[in-house]
Amino acid sequence: MLYIHKSACFSAQQTYSETDLSVITESKDNRLKVKEPVYTDIPPGTLRRMGKAVRMSVGSALPLLKEFPQPDGIIIGTANGGMEDCIKFLNQIIEYREGLLTPGNFVQSTSNAPAAQIAMITKNKKYNNTHTHRGLAFENALLDAFMLLKENPDRTYLLGSVDEISDYNFNIDRLDGCFRDEIVSNKQLFDHPAAGTIAGEGSLMMIVSGQPSGAFAAVDALQTIHTTDERLVLKTLFEFLHKNGFPAVAPDLLITGENGDARLEKYYRNAESLVPRGTAIARFKHLSGEYSTASSFGFWLATEILRTGKIPEIVLKKSGKTDIRKILIYNNYRGLQHAFVLLSAR
Amino acid sequence: METVQLKQQVKEQIVKFLNLTTVQPHDIKDEEPLFGEGLGLDSIDSIELIVMLSREYGIEIQDPKEGRKILVNVNTMVDYIEKNRTK
Repeated sequence: MLYIHKSACFSAQQTYSETDLSVITESKDNRLKVKEPVYTDIPPGTLRRMGKAVRMSVGSALPLLKEFPQPDGIIIGTANGGMEDCIKFLNQIIEYREGLLTPGNFVQSTSNAPAAQIAMITKNKKYNNTHTHRGLAFENALLDAFMLLKENPDRTYLLGSVDEISDYNFNIDRLDGCFRDEIVSNKQLFDHPAAGTIAGEGSLMMIVSGQPSGAFAAVDALQTIHTTDERLVLKTLFEFLHKNGFPAVAPDLLITGENGDARLEKYYRNAESLVPRGTAIARFKHLSGEYSTASSFGFWLATEILRTGKIPEIVLKKSGKTDIRKILIYNNYRGLQHAFVLLSAR
Repeated sequence: METVQLKQQVKEQIVKFLNLTTVQPHDIKDEEPLFGEGLGLDSIDSIELIVMLSREYGIEIQDPKEGRKILVNVNTMVDYIEKNRTK
């Protein structure tokens, strides 16, 4: 069992410090960019070299590490790491004909830079791992922590995820059909499903351990699968639920990664068809946008609902149970990478 | 280019290349040490400045000891640029 003790979430919405989802920030040019705070904990000399992904992850991790210093490891999921710096570095190679290159962009561009920077700033020389499995990067980081805590429940880890929007990648993904060509507001994202969605970015950091004392939520189980076969996804989810006590123990709330992309709706409809009628259904990508580790925003939302006992009106797709003790998250990334996570309240 | 103009240009380039978000070019004094006390730059910054001299002025610094003498302050940088620039 993995218990969540503390979390910090940077997103396009008011999710850091005082959470307020009653008013939502509107997307601009089909992008939902993170509202970054003033980074008072990061030394200025270090901050000026940081790309956005590194800045967000370090900025969201350091306040947690003040309260829980020196965890037994740092585990982060990120599909792209510091993509903007990576592109700058690659462009320099072309611009300067493979000549002398500056180290800053390269150092910041590697996928493990966020976990490494957190470790260096806090002088943490313990386990340090970065998972980069595209749309399952966060879930694989979660699985890593889950397995480590199963072996040693007394340990504590900093677990998180981060991904940023880079102009270059946004354009490549848009040409690939992932994002819509016409401008759509996140406020109307679900009104007219069409091919593509809107882009997002964000960072989630959590303190997790194998001990329930002081925790506000727990991960009961998780499973991932790579396939485009919707029947196999449905079957796998069905078996996952039954392995975890269904139907006697049913989720009170289903949170899906529905993102307004008509091509992916069938997967979410199937998931919705599996849960009992009384189960409430929520979605979140009109708040976070779509990115490889967007499921971590859904995960944060689940933990917030379990912590506060309230479902924000803005995420609710279908009303149902109001006493939320157990939540199922189903997310898929581009119809290929699927993840199921079961959480429960403490 | 006049020395005064070159100094201003070098200060602007230092701010830009090193992403000194809290420093304006006019904040940098001609005699102010770039490393340690003063501007407080570090070893990674020294590599960035060597790359900057190569890209902007065609100056190749191969010997690190030579770099230490050049990158003392804006005056020493400008003096070296005026004598050795190839573009």
